[in-house]
Amino acid sequence: MGESPEPALAEAMNRLWAKFLPQLEERVATLEIAASALASGTLSTSGKQEASANAHKLAGVLGTFGLNEGTELAREAEGTYQGDLLSDPGAAERMAEIAAHLRALLASRR
Amino acid sequence: MHRILIIDDEDDIREVAALSLETVAGWEVMVASSGAQGLIRASSYQPDAILLDVMMPGMDGPATFRELRKNPATAHIPVLLLTAKVQASDRSRFADLGVKAVLVKPFDPLTLSVQVAEVLGWS
Repeated sequence: MGESPEPALAEAMNRLWAKFLPQLEERVATLEIAASALASGTLSTSGKQEASANAHKLAGVLGTFGLNEGTELAREAEGTYQGDLLSDPGAAERMAEIAAHLRALLASRR
Repeated sequence: MHRILIIDDEDDIREVAALSLETVAGWEVMVASSGAQGLIRASSYQPDAILLDVMMPGMDGPATFRELRKNPATAHIPVLLLTAKVQASDRSRFADLGVKAVLVKPFDPLTLSVQVAEVLGWS
Protein backbone atom coordinates (compact mmCIF):
# COMPACT_ATOMS: atom_id res chain seq x y z
CA MET A 1 0.00 0.00 0.00
CA GLY A 2 1.20 3.52 -0.74
CA GLU A 3 0.92 6.56 1.51
CA SER A 4 -2.51 7.90 2.40
CA PRO A 5 -3.71 10.34 -0.25
CA GLU A 6 -5.46 12.44 2.39
CA PRO A 7 -2.76 15.09 3.07
CA ALA A 8 -2.00 15.59 -0.61
CA LEU A 9 -5.70 15.79 -1.39
CA ALA A 10 -6.32 18.32 1.39
CA GLU A 11 -3.46 20.49 0.19
CA ALA A 12 -4.68 20.35 -3.39
CA MET A 13 -8.24 21.11 -2.29
CA ASN A 14 -6.98 24.22 -0.50
CA ARG A 15 -5.31 25.33 -3.72
CA LEU A 16 -8.54 24.80 -5.64
CA TRP A 17 -10.45 26.68 -2.95
CA ALA A 18 -8.17 29.68 -3.39
CA LYS A 19 -8.52 29.45 -7.15
CA PHE A 20 -12.31 29.28 -7.17
CA LEU A 21 -13.10 31.56 -4.21
CA PRO A 22 -13.64 34.65 -6.41
CA GLN A 23 -16.12 32.69 -8.51
CA LEU A 24 -17.96 31.48 -5.41
CA GLU A 25 -18.05 35.04 -4.05
CA GLU A 26 -19.59 36.22 -7.33
CA ARG A 27 -22.29 33.59 -7.00
CA VAL A 28 -23.07 34.75 -3.47
CA ALA A 29 -23.14 38.34 -4.75
CA THR A 30 -25.95 37.42 -7.16
CA LEU A 31 -27.90 36.09 -4.17
CA GLU A 32 -27.28 39.32 -2.25
CA ILE A 33 -28.51 41.37 -5.21
CA ALA A 34 -31.56 39.14 -5.64
CA ALA A 35 -32.44 39.38 -1.95
CA SER A 36 -32.17 43.16 -2.12
CA ALA A 37 -34.37 43.28 -5.22
CA LEU A 38 -36.87 40.95 -3.57
CA ALA A 39 -37.08 43.27 -0.56
CA SER A 40 -37.75 46.27 -2.78
CA GLY A 41 -40.26 44.43 -4.96
CA THR A 42 -38.12 44.73 -8.08
CA LEU A 43 -36.92 41.15 -8.55
CA SER A 44 -37.40 40.25 -12.22
CA THR A 45 -38.02 36.81 -13.67
CA SER A 46 -34.50 36.71 -15.04
CA GLY A 47 -33.17 37.81 -11.65
CA LYS A 48 -35.05 34.94 -10.02
CA GLN A 49 -33.67 32.48 -12.55
CA GLU A 50 -30.14 33.77 -12.08
CA ALA A 51 -30.43 33.54 -8.30
CA SER A 52 -31.83 30.02 -8.51
CA ALA A 53 -29.08 28.87 -10.88
CA ASN A 54 -26.33 30.34 -8.70
CA ALA A 55 -27.85 28.86 -5.56
CA HIS A 56 -27.94 25.48 -7.32
CA LYS A 57 -24.27 25.73 -8.22
CA LEU A 58 -23.31 26.75 -4.69
CA ALA A 59 -25.33 23.85 -3.28
CA GLY A 60 -23.44 21.44 -5.50
CA VAL A 61 -19.96 22.60 -4.61
CA LEU A 62 -19.79 24.03 -1.07
CA GLY A 63 -20.14 20.66 0.66
CA THR A 64 -17.34 19.32 -1.49
CA PHE A 65 -15.10 21.87 0.21
CA GLY A 66 -16.40 20.83 3.63
CA LEU A 67 -19.04 23.57 3.92
CA ASN A 68 -22.10 21.34 4.30
CA GLU A 69 -24.07 24.08 6.02
CA GLY A 70 -23.48 26.20 2.93
CA THR A 71 -24.92 23.47 0.74
CA GLU A 72 -28.07 23.30 2.91
CA LEU A 73 -28.53 27.08 2.87
CA ALA A 74 -27.97 27.27 -0.86
CA ARG A 75 -30.53 24.49 -1.42
CA GLU A 76 -33.07 26.46 0.61
CA ALA A 77 -32.38 29.56 -1.48
CA GLU A 78 -32.64 27.56 -4.71
CA GLY A 79 -36.01 26.15 -3.66
CA THR A 80 -37.30 29.57 -2.69
CA TYR A 81 -36.24 31.30 -5.90
CA GLN A 82 -37.66 28.44 -7.96
CA GLY A 83 -41.02 28.26 -6.23
CA ASP A 84 -43.93 30.27 -4.97
CA LEU A 85 -42.38 30.95 -1.57
CA LEU A 86 -41.17 34.33 -2.77
CA SER A 87 -44.58 35.77 -1.96
CA ASP A 88 -44.20 34.78 1.70
CA PRO A 89 -43.86 37.84 3.95
CA GLY A 90 -40.56 36.72 5.42
CA ALA A 91 -38.97 35.53 2.18
CA ALA A 92 -36.92 38.66 1.49
CA GLU A 93 -35.52 38.74 4.99
CA ARG A 94 -34.70 35.01 4.90
CA MET A 95 -32.99 35.27 1.51
CA ALA A 96 -30.89 38.18 2.81
CA GLU A 97 -29.98 36.13 5.88
CA ILE A 98 -28.93 33.19 3.74
CA ALA A 99 -26.81 35.36 1.45
CA ALA A 100 -25.08 36.95 4.44
CA HIS A 101 -24.51 33.59 6.07
CA LEU A 102 -23.05 32.18 2.85
CA ARG A 103 -20.73 35.19 2.60
CA ALA A 104 -19.54 34.53 6.17
CA LEU A 105 -19.02 30.83 5.47
CA LEU A 106 -16.82 31.62 2.48
CA ALA A 107 -14.74 33.95 4.63
CA SER A 108 -14.47 31.34 7.38
CA ARG A 109 -12.69 28.83 5.13
CA ARG A 110 -9.97 31.19 3.98
CA MET B 1 -5.45 2.01 -14.46
CA HIS B 2 -9.03 3.08 -15.07
CA ARG B 3 -9.80 5.91 -17.45
CA ILE B 4 -12.61 8.32 -16.59
CA LEU B 5 -14.20 11.13 -18.56
CA ILE B 6 -15.83 13.91 -16.53
CA ILE B 7 -18.39 16.05 -18.38
CA ASP B 8 -19.43 19.12 -16.38
CA ASP B 9 -19.83 22.77 -17.33
CA GLU B 10 -18.81 23.96 -13.83
CA ASP B 11 -15.03 24.27 -13.73
CA ASP B 12 -14.81 24.01 -9.94
CA ILE B 13 -16.69 20.71 -9.83
CA ARG B 14 -14.75 19.41 -12.83
CA GLU B 15 -11.38 20.17 -11.26
CA VAL B 16 -12.28 18.83 -7.82
CA ALA B 17 -13.65 15.59 -9.27
CA ALA B 18 -10.59 15.15 -11.47
CA LEU B 19 -8.27 15.86 -8.55
CA SER B 20 -10.14 13.38 -6.40
CA LEU B 21 -10.08 10.53 -8.90
CA GLU B 22 -6.44 11.13 -9.84
CA THR B 23 -5.08 11.66 -6.33
CA VAL B 24 -7.10 9.15 -4.35
CA ALA B 25 -7.59 6.37 -6.88
CA GLY B 26 -4.73 7.03 -9.28
CA TRP B 27 -7.07 6.91 -12.26
CA GLU B 28 -6.47 8.69 -15.54
CA VAL B 29 -8.96 11.50 -16.04
CA MET B 30 -10.04 13.51 -19.05
CA VAL B 31 -12.53 16.37 -18.79
CA ALA B 32 -15.05 18.05 -21.05
CA SER B 33 -16.91 21.29 -20.31
CA SER B 34 -20.05 20.65 -22.37
CA GLY B 35 -22.19 17.82 -23.63
CA ALA B 36 -21.05 18.40 -27.21
CA GLN B 37 -17.38 18.32 -26.23
CA GLY B 38 -18.05 15.26 -24.10
CA LEU B 39 -19.47 13.33 -27.04
CA ILE B 40 -16.31 13.96 -29.07
CA ARG B 41 -13.96 13.10 -26.20
CA ALA B 42 -15.90 9.98 -25.25
CA SER B 43 -15.60 8.68 -28.78
CA SER B 44 -11.88 9.37 -29.15
CA TYR B 45 -10.71 8.72 -25.57
CA GLN B 46 -12.78 5.58 -25.00
CA PRO B 47 -12.96 5.91 -21.21
CA ASP B 48 -13.93 3.04 -18.93
CA ALA B 49 -16.70 5.20 -17.47
CA ILE B 50 -18.20 8.67 -17.75
CA LEU B 51 -19.24 11.03 -14.93
CA LEU B 52 -21.90 13.25 -16.46
CA ASP B 53 -23.43 16.39 -14.95
CA VAL B 54 -27.20 16.74 -15.30
CA MET B 55 -27.71 20.50 -15.53
CA MET B 56 -25.62 21.98 -18.32
CA PRO B 57 -26.47 24.76 -20.77
CA GLY B 58 -27.15 23.61 -24.32
CA MET B 59 -27.08 19.84 -24.33
CA ASP B 60 -27.88 18.78 -20.77
CA GLY B 61 -26.88 15.51 -19.11
CA PRO B 62 -29.87 13.39 -20.16
CA ALA B 63 -29.61 14.62 -23.78
CA THR B 64 -25.86 13.91 -23.77
CA PHE B 65 -26.52 10.43 -22.39
CA ARG B 66 -29.01 9.69 -25.17
CA GLU B 67 -26.48 10.79 -27.80
CA LEU B 68 -23.79 8.61 -26.20
CA ARG B 69 -26.13 5.63 -26.45
CA LYS B 70 -26.94 6.32 -30.11
CA ASN B 71 -23.28 6.21 -31.12
CA PRO B 72 -21.89 2.64 -31.46
CA ALA B 73 -18.47 3.95 -30.42
CA THR B 74 -19.76 5.12 -27.03
CA ALA B 75 -22.95 3.09 -26.45
CA HIS B 76 -21.15 0.55 -24.28
CA ILE B 77 -19.50 3.02 -21.88
CA PRO B 78 -21.11 3.07 -18.42
CA VAL B 79 -22.41 6.48 -17.40
CA LEU B 80 -22.89 7.83 -13.86
CA LEU B 81 -24.93 11.00 -13.54
CA LEU B 82 -23.86 13.74 -11.14
CA THR B 83 -26.58 16.02 -9.84
CA ALA B 84 -27.20 18.56 -7.11
CA LYS B 85 -30.91 17.69 -7.26
CA VAL B 86 -31.75 15.82 -4.09
CA GLN B 87 -35.46 15.13 -4.47
CA ALA B 88 -36.25 11.43 -4.86
CA SER B 89 -38.49 12.14 -7.85
CA ASP B 90 -35.61 13.79 -9.72
CA ARG B 91 -33.20 10.99 -8.92
CA SER B 92 -35.73 8.34 -9.93
CA ARG B 93 -36.38 10.14 -13.23
CA PHE B 94 -32.64 10.25 -13.96
CA ALA B 95 -32.15 6.61 -12.98
CA ASP B 96 -34.92 5.63 -15.41
CA LEU B 97 -32.77 6.90 -18.28
CA GLY B 98 -30.66 3.76 -17.99
CA VAL B 99 -27.55 5.19 -16.38
CA LYS B 100 -25.48 3.05 -14.03
CA ALA B 101 -26.05 5.31 -11.04
CA VAL B 102 -27.05 8.78 -9.95
CA LEU B 103 -24.49 10.38 -7.63
CA VAL B 104 -25.45 13.43 -5.60
CA LYS B 105 -23.42 16.63 -5.41
CA PRO B 106 -21.76 17.68 -3.24
CA PHE B 107 -19.56 14.61 -3.12
CA ASP B 108 -16.74 13.83 -0.72
CA PRO B 109 -13.46 14.09 -2.68
CA LEU B 110 -11.96 11.41 -0.47
CA THR B 111 -14.62 8.83 -1.30
CA LEU B 112 -15.85 9.72 -4.79
CA SER B 113 -13.66 7.06 -6.38
CA VAL B 114 -14.96 4.47 -3.90
CA GLN B 115 -18.54 5.28 -4.90
CA VAL B 116 -17.68 4.99 -8.58
CA ALA B 117 -15.76 1.75 -8.10
CA GLU B 118 -18.59 0.18 -6.12
CA VAL B 119 -21.16 1.00 -8.77
CA LEU B 120 -18.98 -0.38 -11.54
CA GLY B 121 -17.76 -3.43 -9.64
CA TRP B 122 -14.14 -2.33 -9.75
CA SER B 123 -12.24 -3.81 -6.84
